[in-house]
Amino acid sequence: MNIELSAEAAEYGRQALQAFGQAGGDELVAAAEAEPGRRESLVAPVLGELGAWQLNPRGDGAELEAAAALCRSAGYWAVPYPIAERLARPLDLDVDGLVVVAGQRPSGPVAGLSLRWSAVTVDGRRSLAAERPSSEPARMSAFVTELDLKPAGGDGAQDVALGLVLPCWTLLGMLDRAIQLTREHVMVREQFGHPLSTFQGVQFQLTDAEVERRGVEALAKYALWSIQDDLPEAVEDALALRLAAVEAAGTVFAVAHQLYGALGFCDETTLSWLSRYSEPLRRLPLGRTATLDELTRRAGSRGLTGLYSGPAAGVAQGGLAMAPDEASLSSRVPGQAERRVPVAEAEAP
Amino acid sequence: MGDSATALRGELRRLVADHLPPDFLGAFTDDPADLKLTQNFCRLLAEQDLLCLAWPPEYGGRGASAWEQTVVREEMWAHHEPRGAQYMGVNWVGPTIMRHGTAEQKRLHLPAISRGEVIWCQGFSEPNAGSDLASLRTAARRDGDVWHISGQKIWTSYATMAQWCFLLARTSRGEKKQQGITVFLVPMNSPGIEVRPIRTIIGPHHLNEVFFDNLQVTDADVLGQVDEGWRVAQEVLAFERVGIARYARCERLLHAAPAALGDQWDALPADLRGRWARMLTHCRRARLLAYRVVAQQAEGRVQPGEAAPYRIAVTRLDQDSAEVLTEIVGYLPAAGDAAERFRSEVEDHWRYSRASTVASGSIEMQRILLARSMLAAGTTPPDGPARLAVA
Repeated sequence: MNIELSAEAAEYGRQALQAFGQAGGDELVAAAEAEPGRRESLVAPVLGELGAWQLNPRGDGAELEAAAALCRSAGYWAVPYPIAERLARPLDLDVDGLVVVAGQRPSGPVAGLSLRWSAVTVDGRRSLAAERPSSEPARMSAFVTELDLKPAGGDGAQDVALGLVLPCWTLLGMLDRAIQLTREHVMVREQFGHPLSTFQGVQFQLTDAEVERRGVEALAKYALWSIQDDLPEAVEDALALRLAAVEAAGTVFAVAHQLYGALGFCDETTLSWLSRYSEPLRRLPLGRTATLDELTRRAGSRGLTGLYSGPAAGVAQGGLAMAPDEASLSSRVPGQAERRVPVAEAEAP
Repeated sequence: MGDSATALRGELRRLVADHLPPDFLGAFTDDPADLKLTQNFCRLLAEQDLLCLAWPPEYGGRGASAWEQTVVREEMWAHHEPRGAQYMGVNWVGPTIMRHGTAEQKRLHLPAISRGEVIWCQGFSEPNAGSDLASLRTAARRDGDVWHISGQKIWTSYATMAQWCFLLARTSRGEKKQQGITVFLVPMNSPGIEVRPIRTIIGPHHLNEVFFDNLQVTDADVLGQVDEGWRVAQEVLAFERVGIARYARCERLLHAAPAALGDQWDALPADLRGRWARMLTHCRRARLLAYRVVAQQAEGRVQPGEAAPYRIAVTRLDQDSAEVLTEIVGYLPAAGDAAERFRSEVEDHWRYSRASTVASGSIEMQRILLARSMLAAGTTPPDGPARLAVA
């Protein structure tokens, strides 16, 4: 795997970020909430210009990365449209998008769009999904609606990982923005005659949030690579990402709200909108506990693939098993130039 | 990393399996045989050109890539660091001497380190200069050709077994406290040095106090320029940025847990199995964050604030995984060598992990570095689309 997105995907993400900004930026979600009927028309032109629906994340690693970058940029602006869900559409069903569902009340952020949806459960059962009419205002629903499911054929195993991972990229974009906003706020907001950013208690909260965000970023790329290489453990990798993303979102938004104070609850602040519209991504299809339960169930006693997950990596030392990801990970990690870089590990307490 | 790194990992695992007893827990136990074992292992690595593989060929190394060095860090730490104390000489004392040493210093020290024949200790921390290292007070006073050094170091790892000390001492007072510090390369058997072991939770022969009472050295023992030692120390800290691959031991022990428990694994409380799975996620997270720093370092663009998120994540992982593993140990079968070995490894891991958020730059220092990086004027968060939005 590469530990960074390709330069092309990163550039596409930057272009998408600019395009969303020029199309309204933070105003998009407010406008869609005020007039839910305009939800599609607000973003369809810019998505069309970006060629979003020409991307085939299931067919090409480069396009998968571009799709992820697009989701991240959409998350940054809390773009009020199920971009990740549409990008995850199965190619063998005549539908416009895919929602991963769970529980007794399958739901997704697809309210009010004239689109055809499919759904898949975490264990791979596919359905065609129809939006159940609801009168709940967007301000309360964040465009989430319950779905009526009708079983559909085919193996949904391939759908699950992609359907879980792309929304995590959207959430990552929201975390990027929440930290950026909070950083800017604490640098200008003064208390006791000093910017909040000069107080170590404030700094440490900010760093704790940033560590979580960076962890999600790393795992998001890993999960993408797992899909690209069609690894059998791609769903576990997606669940590991989802667990980290949901936990990180809890930390990041808690810190952001705390440091913003009451201002962060107001509609006039972007943070408030980001926070509210992050909720569907954090709760659906599985919240933190359900995600961990599913990950634990699937991990069994095998665990996640890693340096010591091979059959010989038991109690005895010296197991020779290579992690399945080792060869491919190592062969493509960037920065392999034959430089002499002494990397030390001195540890003198 | 590449195929060579993968082959290297296999080579190192074979050496560990063939030359270390299954119950090996590192050099710093009450059993002198463990120290001897690490010394023999270092010589073995040296014979196979694996001890200093990152060193340039002209100094006996292989000029290995940053990724091969990462493999070494992972495999050695995962298996209780069978290089013992010598990894310090290999990883930063030697490279620092290469950069700043005289021809005579290179001739004296580099071959000994590369043959695995010498242990170094690091004379940095003092009772009133820990994280605030530049406040150090150990003083060196010149008298003709001789320097007279007096003062005290503390938390000095390996001082009882070291032959040499990489010592920071104050040689003058400048406008800033970082000025006027000099590096001395000091033989530990010199008159005027007294080492007092400090028995600690992390091991009986690890930390020490070192007292210098009119230790006499000469200009030949000065590394680099007099009064310019802070710059050298900063380079040492730069070598340390990636630090110990703590995630490797955490991951190995976590993966070993189901086998150690055998049939008991499925009887573990669901909450505990969940915490175990969560820790594996955190291991992967820390490993990927480390790889990112390694990639940046290989390209020569890593800054202190860039490594800090990894250091924060990995030290917390160390302690959190130790807690989970310790709880899992409570469900081990009553008998069996494998179970007993696992219990001992986890017990050692738990004790050693107490220091992980303190050692080699406390977690608070890492948070300060990260905050400084995040809040630096004119900068934006380093990653992701946020950069563009602000530009």
